[in-house]
Amino acid sequence: MNPSLEKQIAAAARSVEEARRNAYRDQTRLGELVEQINVLAEYRQQEGDFRKAESLYREALFRIQDAKSPDPELMVGVYSLLAYLYDRWGKLPEAANFYQKALKLSDDLGIHDSDKAATVKNNLAMIYKAMRDPERAAHYYTEALEEFRRVHGEHSGKVASVYNNLGVLYYQNLEVERALEMHHRALGIREQADGTDMEPGDLSQTYINLGAVHKALGDFQKAHECVEKARAISSGAISGGLPARRRSAALILDKTA
Amino acid sequence: MREILSIHVGQCGNQIADSFWRLILKEHGLNENGTVKDSTVVKANSNQEVFFHKVREGKYVPRAILVDLEPGVIARIEGGEMSELFDEGSIIRKLPGAANNWARGYNVEGERVIDQIMNTIDSAVEKTQSLQGFLITHSIGGGSGSGLGSLIIERLRQAYPKKKIFTFSVVPSPLISDAAVEPYNAVLSLQKIRENADCAVLLDNEALFRIAKTRFQRSPNYMDLNHIVALIMSSVTASLRFPGRLNTDLNEYVTNLVPFPGNHFLTASFAPMRTAQSESVVRTNFADLARETFSEDNFTAEIDWKSGVYLSACALFRGEVKAKEVDENMAAIRKSLNFASYVPTGIKIGLAETAPEGFASSGLALVNHTGIAQVFERLLQQFDIMFDNHAYTHWYEGAGVSRSWMQSARDTVAELAVSYRDAG
Repeated sequence: MNPSLEKQIAAAARSVEEARRNAYRDQTRLGELVEQINVLAEYRQQEGDFRKAESLYREALFRIQDAKSPDPELMVGVYSLLAYLYDRWGKLPEAANFYQKALKLSDDLGIHDSDKAATVKNNLAMIYKAMRDPERAAHYYTEALEEFRRVHGEHSGKVASVYNNLGVLYYQNLEVERALEMHHRALGIREQADGTDMEPGDLSQTYINLGAVHKALGDFQKAHECVEKARAISSGAISGGLPARRRSAALILDKTA
Repeated sequence: MREILSIHVGQCGNQIADSFWRLILKEHGLNENGTVKDSTVVKANSNQEVFFHKVREGKYVPRAILVDLEPGVIARIEGGEMSELFDEGSIIRKLPGAANNWARGYNVEGERVIDQIMNTIDSAVEKTQSLQGFLITHSIGGGSGSGLGSLIIERLRQAYPKKKIFTFSVVPSPLISDAAVEPYNAVLSLQKIRENADCAVLLDNEALFRIAKTRFQRSPNYMDLNHIVALIMSSVTASLRFPGRLNTDLNEYVTNLVPFPGNHFLTASFAPMRTAQSESVVRTNFADLARETFSEDNFTAEIDWKSGVYLSACALFRGEVKAKEVDENMAAIRKSLNFASYVPTGIKIGLAETAPEGFASSGLALVNHTGIAQVFERLLQQFDIMFDNHAYTHWYEGAGVSRSWMQSARDTVAELAVSYRDAG
């Protein structure tokens, strides 16, 4: 194991122990415990030990629930952390379940942080897509889209990301015309964008996705043009013009908003 | 260093912890707050690290985790003489209790606290260099120790598949009973112990009572019983902690004592059995000591000695014993014991230099005997009467343990009893 990670884990573990003692004496300091647990759990995931990370988050969850007056915002936070963990771990049904819980709780409590809620919805949709449930995936993408639009306006990078994701979903579902439309919308935003809320590979990714759609429609000429454009962006850019390697490996992939 | 992590679960488990750690502190020359009392003893035994984590010069913290679903016993430990001994972070208590219900300890309450327990265990394990295994003390008749204890054993096996799990399990006795549902709890626990533990030393309260009564010549109290258990636990680990000519560790015990997978239920005997309070040092000659160690009425479970046979046995002698005497006497004892026909070898013997506090020498026997089937049969008989009449099962079903689950636990234990009978 990486020695610096080992040291970080040891230090984080000590902080968690300290926070545990403090939280036992004084329940108002539960928030600190959750913070420290999150730090340690992050390291655990870097180490590849998902089980221990899970155990940590679940401890946080039950400690919050056991408090005399559970802090709902803290709970929503831990739900989404757990969901994200399961997502990375490949345990999709559990991930979906905890994203749902997070959404429901924040709805019930009227916690209105729409950006966060929209991100959760986008992630949830990605999980349903992976679970081959395109209807629910489309439903949550659409909701995420609406919320991002309301918060950031039509021309934000996040809206473009959701369009892109929807495009990928339709493509997988063999609804090629709708996929084309979504990718065009994403392209429209990404071509205008100044690059502030967008990753460097996003534009060329859109061209590649678009190329795939054209190819599926049988229009090889256009497909070729799109790929050429993507290549031009990649070679023209000083750095990072290429789609991120993780995504380019599968050629057509969606993106966490 | 071959460290051992002790996990004490439930009321009974923590009462044992109270006696056990008092004894261990004395053996290692430490005060009740973990500071050094007798530096010569500390220097003579370099192996404090097996049971203690040294936090700074002269201060030791037990490698122990105390868990209970009711705060009572732990609160007494925390409020007592050993209040500064344990690390606060390794004490886990939660309300409400398991209400004598295995299913509540395992499912309902256990589910909510197990992650905290496992995280605490993980960080305790990280403080070790080469962990040897876990010692677990609990009773299998109640709710917390049986249900939550089973859950802990199960999770430990998943998280640390290669480490040894040694349980000291107090079995409900037919006469002294705390609750009507004890047979259910015990059978459900035994299934988990059979599947997940490497060795289980069964401690029958009634046998402990009988031993204490005859040897102490007065009416014994629970402290006396716990003290017997503490002496046994201390002796099991003695040769890891103290220098000696023949060392045994947990792995060696398991190899020698478990002839067939799953048949890892042992009974133990400690000699000379004398009261904890007597001030003078107890001295016995070795022949008497060896005889008392293997005396049938000195074992901690009600064994069917008549129709069963020995499958395996280990003996550990501590203190002033001569190797020559050991060889002579043990050969005679080996002959007198009724071993299974296919076990031609002798008794595994260990020797450690330091005797427990108050003894010049002591003996411990750990025995795997087919007569232990009687303990399981007795529990099954009580289980069946209630189960066939659907008595009390709704409490278990309400906490997520179905009748078919209970049936499968019953079958596991029945099969265990049969496998012991067949081995004879």
